[in-house]
Amino acid sequence: MRRYTLNVVFCLAAVALVALAQAGALDKYVLTIITFIGINCIFAVSLNLVNGYMGEFSCGHAGFMCVGAYVGSLLSVAFFTNSNLFGAALFPPQWAPFLFPVVLLGASLAAALFGLIVALPSFHTRDDYLAIITIAANYIIISIVENIDAIGGPRGFSGMKKTVNAMSDVADLPWMLIWTIFGFFVCVMTIYRLMTSTYGKGISAVCQNEVAAEIMGVNTNRVKIMAFMISSGLAGLAGALYAHVYGYVNAQAFNILKSTEGLVMVYLGGMGSISGVLMAAVAFTLLVEWLRFVIPWLNEVSHAAGLLPAGYEISQIWKWVIIPLILILLMQFRPEGFLGNRELTQVFPRLKRWITFK
Amino acid sequence: MPLLEIKGLTQRFGGLQALSNFSFHLEERELVGLIGPNGAGKTTVFNIVSGFYQSTEGDIVFDGKRIGGFRPHQVTAMGMARTFQNIRLWNDMTVLDNIRLARYSWLGYGFWSAVLRTGHYRHSEKLIETKAREVLEMMDLADYAGELPKNLPYGLQRRVELARALAGNPKLLLLDEPAAGLNSADVEDLIRHIRWIHDEFKIAIWMIEHQMKVVMSLCQRLTVIDFGCIIAEGTPEDIRNNIVVIKAYLGDEAL
Amino acid sequence: MDVFLQQCVNALQWGSFYALIALGYTLVYGVLRLINFAHGDIFMVGAYIAFFVSTMFLSPEGMFGLSRETTLALTIPLTMILTSLVGVSLERIAYRPLMRKGAHRLYVVITALMCGLILENGNLALLGASRKTLPVLLEKNIHDFGGIAVTNLKLWVILAAVLVFFFLHFIVTQTRMGMAMRAVSWDRFALPLMGIPLDSVVVFTFILGSGVAGLGGMLFAMSYPVLEPYMGAMTGWKAFIAAVVGGIGDIRGAFAGGFLLAFVEIMVAAFLPSTFRDLFAFSILLLILWLRPTGIFGKPLTTKI
Repeated sequence: MRRYTLNVVFCLAAVALVALAQAGALDKYVLTIITFIGINCIFAVSLNLVNGYMGEFSCGHAGFMCVGAYVGSLLSVAFFTNSNLFGAALFPPQWAPFLFPVVLLGASLAAALFGLIVALPSFHTRDDYLAIITIAANYIIISIVENIDAIGGPRGFSGMKKTVNAMSDVADLPWMLIWTIFGFFVCVMTIYRLMTSTYGKGISAVCQNEVAAEIMGVNTNRVKIMAFMISSGLAGLAGALYAHVYGYVNAQAFNILKSTEGLVMVYLGGMGSISGVLMAAVAFTLLVEWLRFVIPWLNEVSHAAGLLPAGYEISQIWKWVIIPLILILLMQFRPEGFLGNRELTQVFPRLKRWITFK
Repeated sequence: MPLLEIKGLTQRFGGLQALSNFSFHLEERELVGLIGPNGAGKTTVFNIVSGFYQSTEGDIVFDGKRIGGFRPHQVTAMGMARTFQNIRLWNDMTVLDNIRLARYSWLGYGFWSAVLRTGHYRHSEKLIETKAREVLEMMDLADYAGELPKNLPYGLQRRVELARALAGNPKLLLLDEPAAGLNSADVEDLIRHIRWIHDEFKIAIWMIEHQMKVVMSLCQRLTVIDFGCIIAEGTPEDIRNNIVVIKAYLGDEAL
Repeated sequence: MDVFLQQCVNALQWGSFYALIALGYTLVYGVLRLINFAHGDIFMVGAYIAFFVSTMFLSPEGMFGLSRETTLALTIPLTMILTSLVGVSLERIAYRPLMRKGAHRLYVVITALMCGLILENGNLALLGASRKTLPVLLEKNIHDFGGIAVTNLKLWVILAAVLVFFFLHFIVTQTRMGMAMRAVSWDRFALPLMGIPLDSVVVFTFILGSGVAGLGGMLFAMSYPVLEPYMGAMTGWKAFIAAVVGGIGDIRGAFAGGFLLAFVEIMVAAFLPSTFRDLFAFSILLLILWLRPTGIFGKPLTTKI
C-alpha cells in the first residue's frame, strides 16, 4: 500500500484544493496563481518532450499554445454562448460542464495539427535550423491570428467567461481549477507513460543516436511527427485552459517571450526529467509572483536606508532584471538543471518505496 | 534462392565513384567476409544494403524481396540487423533498454495503447522484456542489464551492440569491423561469440573486418574490394595467396 | 517602376542593418556553435552608447562642445569599442564559466537569452521609459538618381555594410586570427596545437561581432533617431533568422540572408497591408529552409556512418 503514497497524496491534494476553493478559503488571487502554476506545468512538461527527451531545440512552443487558446475559445463560444460571431449557442448552456472536455480536445487537436508545420521540416533539419523554423512558426501563428479580423485581430478575443459562468450555473464549483487539475493529470500521465514504454523510448533513441535508432527499426520520421504533435497538442490544452481562466486571449500573450519562459522552465528543471521540469515550473511561477511583492518592499527599504536618490523608484520592471539574473546564477551552479536528465526517484532511490505509477 | 543477392551496385557521390558494378550473393546460414584496404567502399556497401544510402544503380534482393528504396527501419523489419564500425549505442539508456528497443519493429502496439496501458500493451511489453533478458543471458551480459553503456569497457560495449542486433531475430547480420579497437583477449572472445551465434541462431553473417585473424578463422568465403570494384573472391586460403590482393594491400613493391 | 526602385533602396538600407547584426550571430556561431541570443540587445546597447557619447561631445554646455563632424568621427570608433567591451564582458561573465563546466550548449543559449532580457529591462529600469533622441550628426542631403530620392545617410549605411563585409572577409580569409577562427569550427581541440589559445580566438570573435553590431546600432539610431530599450529584440530575432537562412557560420550568408529578409519585408509592406509583413516574410523564409535545409550558403549536413 505504501507504494501508492504519491498517488493518494496527489488525489487528496487535488480534492483538498477544490474543497478549499469551494469553501471560499482561498482568495481569488491565490486561486488564480494555483491555476496558473498548473497551466505552466502543462506547458513546460509538454515542451520537455521535444526539447528534453528528443533533444531538439524548439523555441516557438507558445505558438501552439496560441492555437489552442484561440481554437478552444472559439469552440467554447460557439458551443455554449450566443455571440455575434457564431449566432445562437449550438448546445444548451447546461451541457457546458459535460462538453467542456470536447472543447479541450478540439483545442489540442488543432494545436497538434499545427505541430506538423514544425515536424515536417525536422526530417532533414536539426539543431539550430530547426530552432529557426520554430521561431518562425511562432511568429507566423501570431501573425495569422492578428490578421483575422473576425476573431478580434490584434484586439484579442473574449466571451469565454460566459462558458465558465454556464458551468457554474449547473453546479457551483471552482470549475477552472478542476479542469486545470484534470489537464495537468492528463499531460503528466501521457508523457510519463509514453516515455516509460518501449514505444516512447524511440524518442530518446532518436535523440541519443539517430542513426542507431533508424537501423534498429525506429521509423524516425514517424517518431518525430508523433513527438511534435503530442507536444504541441498538450501546449494547445494549456492554451485552452489559459484562455478560459482569464476569459480573454490576445495573440501577443503567446509571443516569443512566452516561449522563452517555457525554455527556462525546461532547462532549469533538467532536460528529460518530468519531476525536474515540474519543480522548475512551480518555482518559476512562484518566483515571478513573489517578486511582485518583494519589489515594492525593496523600494521602501532602500529609500528608508537612503540608498536611492529621492526621485528614483524601483519599479516592477526590475522583476525582469532580477529573474534572468537569478536564472543565470542558478545555471552557473547547476549547469544541467535541477535534476539533469534524471527523475526524482533516480536521484533519491528511497523515494521509490512511496511511489508507483502505472 | 540466395538470402541476399546484389546485382550491379554502383554508387557515385558527386564525382566520386565509391562503388562500381558490385555483385554479390549470400546463402542462408553462410558466414562471409568483405575485406579491402581503407576507403575501398566496404562500409558503403553496408550502408546501401541496410538502407542508409540509395544506390545510383543496381538491384538488391533480400529474402525474395527487392529492397532498393527501402528506408533502414523497413529493411530491419524484414530481418536484417547490423552493427557499426564506431559503436552506436544509446548511451543514456540502460543496457536492458537498449536491447528492448531492438524489438521496436515488432512492438505490436501504438501510442494510445501505451498511454492507456491496455492489456495488449502489458502483454507486448512482457514479451519484449522476456526476450531482452533472454538475449542478455545468452550473451553473458545479464549482470550489466541496469548499467549505462557509456560506463562499460569498450569490449563489453561491442558485445552489447552485438546483442542488440541479435535481439531482433535477424536472418542476416551485418557486422562492420566488429573487432576494431579490441585487445587480443577481447578478439578471442569475439571470435568465439560470433562462431557461437552463427551455430546457435542459424543465421547468415556478413562481416567487414581488417584483422586477418578474425576473417581467416571465421569466414567460409571472402570478397575483396578495392576502389569500389571486386578484385577477388574465394576461400580464405585462395585469398591469402592471391597476388592481386597482396598488391592492393601492400603495394607493388611488396612483391 | 520608380516606386519599386525606391523601395529597393529602402530594402538595401534595411538589409544593411540586418546584415550588420546577422554578422555577429554568424561569427560567434561559427566559432562556438553558440546562438548568442543577447546579440540583438548588444545592437540596442550600441545605439544607446552612440547616444550618450555623441550627446556628451556635442552638447554646447558640456566640457567638449565639439562640432558635428568631429563628434561623428569620434563617436563611430568609441561606440564600436565600448560595444565590443559589453559583448566581451558577457562572454567572460556569463558564457565562459558555463562552457568551462561542460554544460550542455543549450544551457549557454538560455543564458544568452537571459542576458538579453537583463540588458533590455535593465536599460528600461535604469533610464526610464522616456525615449532618447540621437542628435543630428550628419547634415541631411537628398541625392536624386533619375527620380529616385536617396538621402546621403542611406548611402552611408549601405556603404558601411559593404565595407564591413569586405573587411571581415579579409580578416577571416587572410589573417592568422581568421584562419584560427575557421579552424575552431572544425576542431576545437586541435587549435592549441597551432599555438593560438582558444580564449583569444573567442574574445576576438566577440570583439568583431559586437563592434559591428555597435556600428549597426549607431547607424540605425542615426536613421531612426528615437531609441527604446526593446528596439534590439525583434530586430535581433529577425537578423538571426536572416543569418540562418543565409547559412549560419558563413559571412556571405549573413549578408545574403539580411538583404533577402529586408527585401521581402519592404516589398510586402509596400504592396500589401503592413500587418501581413511578418506573415509573408517568415513564410518565405520557412519555404527557403524547407528547400535548402542548411541555408543558402550552408554546407549540406552529412552524417558519417
